[in-house]
Amino acid sequence: MALLLPAVLSLATGYLIVTLLLPFRPRHFCGWMFQLSLAACYGVGVSSIIYFLLQVCGLGHLLLADLIVLAILASAWLFLRSRIAATDVQKTIRCDRFSPPWLQHALTASFGIALMAALYSIIRRAITHPHGDGWDAFAIWNLHARFLFRGGSHWRDGFSALIPWSHPDYPLLLPAAIARSWTYLGHEDQRVPGALGLLFAFSTVALLISSLQLLRGSAAGLLAGLTLLSTPFFIEQGTAQYADVPLSLYLLAALALLAFHDRAENDRPETDRPPASGGQRQRFGLLVLSGLAASFAAWTKNEGLLFVLAIVSVRLLSALRGKGRWRPLLVLTISLAPAMLLLIWFKHSIAPPSELFSDQSALHKLAMPARYWITLKWYGKDFLRFGEWAFVPGTLLLVGLCFAASANARNNNHEEREDRSSVLVLPLILAGYFFIYLITPYDLRWHLRFSLNRLFLQLWPSAVFLFFLAAPIPTTPANSDS
Amino acid sequence: MNEKTPLCPSKRTASAILIFVLCCLLSSAKLVLNATTPATDNVAQRSDQRFAALKAALPARGIVGYIGESGNTGTADYYLAQYALAPLIVEHSPDHTLVIGNFPTARPASFPSHLQLVTDFGNGVLLLRNPSADKEAK
Repeated sequence: MALLLPAVLSLATGYLIVTLLLPFRPRHFCGWMFQLSLAACYGVGVSSIIYFLLQVCGLGHLLLADLIVLAILASAWLFLRSRIAATDVQKTIRCDRFSPPWLQHALTASFGIALMAALYSIIRRAITHPHGDGWDAFAIWNLHARFLFRGGSHWRDGFSALIPWSHPDYPLLLPAAIARSWTYLGHEDQRVPGALGLLFAFSTVALLISSLQLLRGSAAGLLAGLTLLSTPFFIEQGTAQYADVPLSLYLLAALALLAFHDRAENDRPETDRPPASGGQRQRFGLLVLSGLAASFAAWTKNEGLLFVLAIVSVRLLSALRGKGRWRPLLVLTISLAPAMLLLIWFKHSIAPPSELFSDQSALHKLAMPARYWITLKWYGKDFLRFGEWAFVPGTLLLVGLCFAASANARNNNHEEREDRSSVLVLPLILAGYFFIYLITPYDLRWHLRFSLNRLFLQLWPSAVFLFFLAAPIPTTPANSDS
Repeated sequence: MNEKTPLCPSKRTASAILIFVLCCLLSSAKLVLNATTPATDNVAQRSDQRFAALKAALPARGIVGYIGESGNTGTADYYLAQYALAPLIVEHSPDHTLVIGNFPTARPASFPSHLQLVTDFGNGVLLLRNPSADKEAK
């Protein structure tokens, strides 16, 4: 029971944040699933920050702090609920799009089987690997959680340069979330990191399915969910107690909410063209949520910083191309600020410098063509073997599906008019990873071997989302004649 | 044409979707088969249980030194020791007053001359003292 208190408080906080900022009300099951998966995403993020701030200030009243935040959010919700009516954004919902019955039934049944298989596998793995699966769980994430929980006023000791391989410069969303739950329990419980892993994995699946069902209809959502649930490496990492799956959730949330915003912008009526009109203000809620998710990504792993940089660059490019997106860009940037400021303070005042940028020979390495070739070869190899799929790699399956289904592309004229600049975020991140590999102070092959597949995993749910957002899946709006 | 009728995918699209679904289900089957593989590494046994007696003999906070086996497993052993002994900082160096010796496979015949054995906790876990670091600290 004690394990439920931090979870309930965290979920309630996340739910209120989402309810306050999301400009549409769930009317379908997929709407509820969307809201709940986002609630988990923001709940864990905000709770970890509250816990960390209390540690920094040396305050111990965690329950009181959580209740105060919850009371503020609940008051804001009570005060503003009349204004949070359904808006024109509701029109972006495509939940009622349907596919031929045989396809719908085949997809639902297959999805059900894949879900059962994933549940069986993930629960079994969580039981057999209570301390995670691999070094990083005990050498980085759970070790940092132990320092935060056991360290008391000396918690900063855990971020000493004397323990270099524990990556003391890594951000603290996951360790702080674990330590917060242990604080509520009053003791360390290895079920906490395991349960958080399950929460992140299934929230990612639920967010992927629900956001696509809302944006593209049921078939796209089910196919995307099936793809993710059938990726063995995703399910394995869900119980590994690493931060890659949590990071993938925040990347997906940021991109999915941007897609909702762009769809709403695209669908807005001509009468709503003046800037900062009521409709636009409510659409800004989506941008605030997207910015928060991106900042939580940076608070989860250093790669999240690259994501923030990529997403701001892409939106800046979009604004520069004269699409009138300066105001949305400003809103997105401001919403990034709180968690980013905390992260900057952590990096500046507590964490030692990252070892990746401490190598004096980095410039020399950039001038070595062999390093480009080795990295490129690994990118190609891991593209083909990513995910540990049986027989055919998932990446190739998606390419094949896209090629075969392109005949249906004519049925998706509406979506094709939308701004798809978010798609550029993923290649930009991959280019950023490529650059880091070029200058890495570690042995290049060793570094690629032990990290590239996990870097791809971080992007995988977002890649699946963007693929099925654009893929020509045959659907028709149920109310298209109305 | 009635627009409420769902669009029928072409044969090519339908076949592609079915092949895609089949491949996904094959991967799910692989997932189920692999899930039965037992864990190869017992972290709790190699960290918390292994260092429990040593932890009671060490100060609650501060920095201690560490010597252990070399190689890849030696690095893992070091992190398992750090994991068990947190919030104590375990530096991979013998230049501290108290030094942990961690030799899971074979205890060495002798230690560096400046280290004195304080307690042998068994199972390759040792507590050593470095008097020269003691003097430097003073």
